[in-house]
Parts: sequence; C-alpha cells; structure tokens
Amino acid sequence: MTLAKTLALLSPELVLLAGGLGILLLDMIWKDDEGKKDWLPYLTLVGLGGALAAVIVVWRGLGGGVSALATMLDVDALAMFICLMAVLVAALVVVFSVEFVRGKTPYRGEFYAFLLFAALGIALMAAATNLVLIYISVELLSVTSYVLTGYLRGDAKSNEAAIKYFLYGAIVSAAMLYGMSLFYGITGTTDLRGIAEFFSDPASMSELHWVVFAAMVLLFAGLGFKIAAVPFHQWAPDAYEGAPTPVTAFLSVGPKAAGFAVLLRVLIIGLPQFEADWTALLAAISIVTMTLGNVVAIVQKNIKRMIAYSSIAQAGYILIGLACLGADNYGLQGVLLYLLVYLFANLGLFAVVIAFSNATGSDEIEDYAGLMRRSPWLAAGMVVFFLSLVGIPPTAGFFGKVLIFASAIRTQSYLLAAIGVLNGVISLYYYFNVVRQGFFLPPKEAAPIPAAPELRVALLVCMAVVLGIGVFPQPFIQLAQGVARLLAI
Amino acid sequence: MVIPLAWYLIVAAALFCIGLYGALARRNAIGILMGIELMLNAVNINLVAFWRYVRPQMLTGQLFAIFVMTVAAAEVAVGLALVIAIYRSRDTVNVEEIDLLRG
Amino acid sequence: MLLPILFIFFSIAVLGFALLVVTTRNMFHAALFLVGALFGVAALYILLEAEFLAVVQILIYVGAIATLIVFAIMLSRNMMRRDIRAANDQWVEGAVAAVLLFALLVLVLSRASWPTVTAAAPPDAIPGIGKALVSDYVIPFEVASVLLLVGMVGAIIIARERE
Repeated sequence: MTLAKTLALLSPELVLLAGGLGILLLDMIWKDDEGKKDWLPYLTLVGLGGALAAVIVVWRGLGGGVSALATMLDVDALAMFICLMAVLVAALVVVFSVEFVRGKTPYRGEFYAFLLFAALGIALMAAATNLVLIYISVELLSVTSYVLTGYLRGDAKSNEAAIKYFLYGAIVSAAMLYGMSLFYGITGTTDLRGIAEFFSDPASMSELHWVVFAAMVLLFAGLGFKIAAVPFHQWAPDAYEGAPTPVTAFLSVGPKAAGFAVLLRVLIIGLPQFEADWTALLAAISIVTMTLGNVVAIVQKNIKRMIAYSSIAQAGYILIGLACLGADNYGLQGVLLYLLVYLFANLGLFAVVIAFSNATGSDEIEDYAGLMRRSPWLAAGMVVFFLSLVGIPPTAGFFGKVLIFASAIRTQSYLLAAIGVLNGVISLYYYFNVVRQGFFLPPKEAAPIPAAPELRVALLVCMAVVLGIGVFPQPFIQLAQGVARLLAI
Repeated sequence: MVIPLAWYLIVAAALFCIGLYGALARRNAIGILMGIELMLNAVNINLVAFWRYVRPQMLTGQLFAIFVMTVAAAEVAVGLALVIAIYRSRDTVNVEEIDLLRG
Repeated sequence: MLLPILFIFFSIAVLGFALLVVTTRNMFHAALFLVGALFGVAALYILLEAEFLAVVQILIYVGAIATLIVFAIMLSRNMMRRDIRAANDQWVEGAVAAVLLFALLVLVLSRASWPTVTAAAPPDAIPGIGKALVSDYVIPFEVASVLLLVGMVGAIIIARERE
C-alpha cells in the first residue's frame, strides 16, 4: 500500500491529532489574551468537523471492505462507526465545557486539546488489531482521562476522583497487560489474526486451555474497567462524582464505547474458537453488572453518582448482546445501536445536569425539586432521556433494548432476557424518583434556571436524535446491521 | 538453554503478585504506585522470556516491553503529579484519609 | 552450571527487594529497594540475552521512573516520618488475594506446554528493533509519542505551583 493511501485511511486519526496539537499551539500563542482564547472551543469544533468529514469520506471509500495496515489496525466499518461516536462525544462535551471551564481553570486550551487526544485514543482502540497497539491506545485514553478528571486543581473532589481513578486504572491495566503477555507466550504473536490462526489447530487448544482462560480473564479486567462492568466498576461512582461534570459526561460514554469495540475485536477476530468460554463469562458478568448497578443506583442522593450506577447497569445490558452473539453476529447490531442510542441519551442527561449545576452549583437530587416550574425544557429533556435509558417507546432506547433482548431470545438465553427486563423495571424506580422531585414537589427556590445557548442547542440535538431514532429507527438499525454483517465476514 | 522457561514465568508471577499485594495493601499512594511498577516489570520479564523461548527470530516481545516502559513513564508522571497535587491540598498522601467521595 | 546459579541469585534478589518495597515503612527506603529490584530485572534481561532491553530498563526505569518517585517522596516530605503503619486496613485481604493468585498462576503456568523452540537469539537485536520501530511498529511508535506528550503536559497542568 502506498504511503498516500495509508495516510488517507488514517485521516480521521490524523485530523484529530493535528487538531489537538493545533489547539495546544494556539493556546501558547494567545498566552495572555483571554478574549482570543474564547475561540478555542469553537476551533476545536471545527477540528472535530474535519474529523467527521474524514470519517465519512473514508467510510464511503471502504465500500464494505476492510483495509488492514501492517498487522496493526483495521480500517473497517466498525472502526468508522466507533470513530464517528468518538467525534460526536467529543463535540458534545466541548459544547458542555464552554461555560463550565471558563474561570474554573487557567488552562482552558489544553482542556480542549486533551478532549481531542482522548477521541484519538478511542478511534485507535476501535481500529487496533494488535495487542501492542490496543495497549498503547487504551493507555492514551486512560492517561488523558486521568488528567481531565483531575483538571480542577483547586477542587479537592476533582483531585481525589483523579487519584482514585488513576490508581485503580493503573492496577487493572497491569493485570490486562499480564494477560496480553500470556497470549503472546501461547501463540508467539500479538496480532489478533495470528492468534486466531494459532488456535485454529485444535491440538493446540486443549493443552493450553487453562492458560487461555486465565489470560482472557486478565484481559477482561482491563476492558471491564473501561466499560465499568462489575467487578471492575468501583472507580466509576467516585470518578463520576468528583470529575468536572463535562468530563463525567465524557467518561460515561467515550471509554465505554471504546472498551466495547476492543472487546468485540479481540473476541470475534482473536478468540472465535473460545466462544463457549467467553460467552459464559460475559453472561455471568452481564447479570451481576446490571443488577448491582440498578440496585445501588436506588439509594444514591447525588445525581452524578446515580448516573454512574445507571451507566454501570447500561454496560450490563450491552454485554447481553455480546454474550448472545449468535450466528452471523446478530447480537452485534444490538450492541452497536444500543451504544449509539446510549450516547445521545446519556449526554443529553448530562446537558441537563450541567445546565442545572452551572445555575445552582448543586448536583444533589433533592435540589431538583420543582425543576418543571424553574425550567420546563430541562425537565422535559430529563424525562425523554430517562425514558430512553429505561427503553420505553417512542424513544430510541426502546429499539436498542429490543435488538439486545432479541439476540438473547434468538440464542435461547431466556434467563438473560428475563433478568434484563426485570432490571429495566428496577431502573424505572430510581429514574422516577428524580422525575417525582422535578414535577410534583414544590421548588425550594423560584428563580428560573438559565441555560447557556450552547447547552440549549446540545440539549435539543440530543432530544431530537433520541426521539428521531425512536420514531424512524429503520435507517439506524440498517446502519448497525451493516457494520455487524461486515465484521462477520 | 539451561534454564527452563517455567522458572522465568514463576519468578515473574511471584513478582506480579508481590506488586499486586503492594498495590492493594499500601496506605501511601506512592507506595501503591511502586507496587504497580513491580507488576509492570513482571509483565516485561514474561514478554522477554517468551520472546527468547518461543519466537526469538521475531522481536515482538522486546518491542512490546519497550512500549510498556514508555507507557509506564507517562503514567508515572501523571500519577505522581496527582499525588503532589493532593498532598498540597490535604497534606497527606494516605489513601485512607482521601475520602471525600463516598456513598 | 553458572547460568542457573546466576538466575537463582538474581531472582532471589529481585523478589527479596520487591518484598521489601511493599513492606517497608519508610517510603524513601522503599524507593531505594525499588531501584534494587529494577537492577535485578535488568540482570535477568541479560541472562535472557536481551542486552539492549537491559540498558533501556536501567535508563528508563532506574534513570527516569525511580528518580521521579524519589522526587515525589521528597516533595511530600512529611510522609517519611509520619507513616507509622505501612499497610492499610485491607492488607489481609490483599495478601490472601496475592497468594491465591500466585498459586493459581503457578498451577496454570507450570502445567501448560509452551511452544518453545531452541533457536539461538539473533546476535544483534538493536538494528532489528530500530527497523521495526519505523516500519511495522510505526503506528504504535507515533501513538507512544502522543502519549508521552499528553503525560508531560498533563503532569505540568496538575502539579504546577499555583500563581
């Protein structure tokens, strides 16, 4: 492959990288000019727009094929799908941050640059097909996330969240690495296709079965940490509560999507021969994850902590799709659609939380009392996003859940489907508690809640998408189906 | 080769578990960080031993180990920066006293 | 006969230093023991005929990482005096977890039949490593440089003295 073609295939990543470096540079040039620095978030959005265009061009150019680069990464529909999500997440989080970080930190420019680098990490994770690149891109995302979490230096909670997140993350990433080293020892290669090729000889499988299982569990520690699945979820509530809220919004969606993308690739490309093992493992983790997340969410008093547990539960639902992959990767379309829907619903929810905390300085659920009267738009948005997270029509979440549960029923995993539905009912309870506060209790203060224009736009976009997919699901289901089918070949 | 591969693997496993103990049981954030460094070194011993015994003609294991060291350096820089930041604001690096967030 | 003796010597040194690192009360001493363990690992690399890696280990781990740790200990000075207990409240659970994991790993690792070969190591690995870093591994190499940049900028943002 020529250099030009390689660079063209990597153009989304290169645009993100150039954008991040450009923002760092501009921030340095405009060192003392706070007025000019106000342009940085918008320039970041321009960079993300460029990345979006690059994703679309590359995706169309693929025409359903895969372009593998030097046993390191695959540029395929899955990579483009997740890269698209990374760009969308970063763009929405930039919009959330404009008002939030102004005045809270002297290092505004780097904040936006770091968001671009984090998006780059996600894009690379989604494309990587080699354990070496997987490890480095996971760490790129982790290190940027640690810094973003601890960005508010004067804020003791932000500090504490970052150090807990860091220590936890560093331990599980060492465990993941140990698993990777075992895979290398077993197969003599770090390339996922090479690993699959090694195991395609049945004789090699039986002798090394237990080592493979151990390596798989260790590898899952690192990815389970990224998607916040039990038992690697403990960092999430603290990191979510303490991090600057736009960063929390990022953490709840970005690393999760990337973690799932890596998990998909490792399992489907690298370890198809061990499907029975990882299916059982993932099913068990899925059940514990959704149940624990939902049950603990009930008792939370801080809305960011509640969303943390709810997003742990969401990871549990998505895992159902992976555990019930079925023939020609049917479960995969559920996973992909669910991730896309979850992105808009959760980020929309954070738009509400950020608007509320910008105006009142509080994240406590009891302070949401009377939200309806103080800001009908925020209250309405909140209801739409909650409905989507539970999976009630006419919101997008309904179709995400339908596809996920359909894959469970298709592979006759009725228990998984039943527990999933039951968990949906539990989640209604704590979401309704917030709605009750907002609609039926009298407000503590009467002052209306102003929202910055950027936030209002973000809120409306998320609402429009969540309702839009809910009413016209077909193109989005087809999109997910297309990606899933291509990966099955 | 005189030394069996399993010896290296068992030394690495022991080092990994000692590091894990340090990471789980230390009160001091820097102590935890040192435990993590031991774990990463254990992984590198694994990688280099596998390289030597399983695929010496390809340099994958050595390259992987070099990348691990690079990443460890970046990680440690950020980690220690966080430790220093928290020390400035609370005068402690004891993880049991860092407990504003709970629920 | 010399090789196994050297192996056993360095292994005991590495593991002994490692145990001291995780149990010593004085953080500064722990950092010094860490340096010892890191040197021991470098010696193991030499036994494995990965000389270049041994040098890199000493340069990066001892030269940069361990030094950074010592700096951090100096900057948060009172921890050297005040740390009366080294372990936290969950050290028993930690110890049990570590011992159990070790037992499991030994069981799994020693029973597996690794696909070993008896080929000689390439006489000089450095050109190969250099070539690989700019050909097959060029993407991870570039990503690693972004990672280092992020680590550097991030560390400055977080730890810089307030104006």
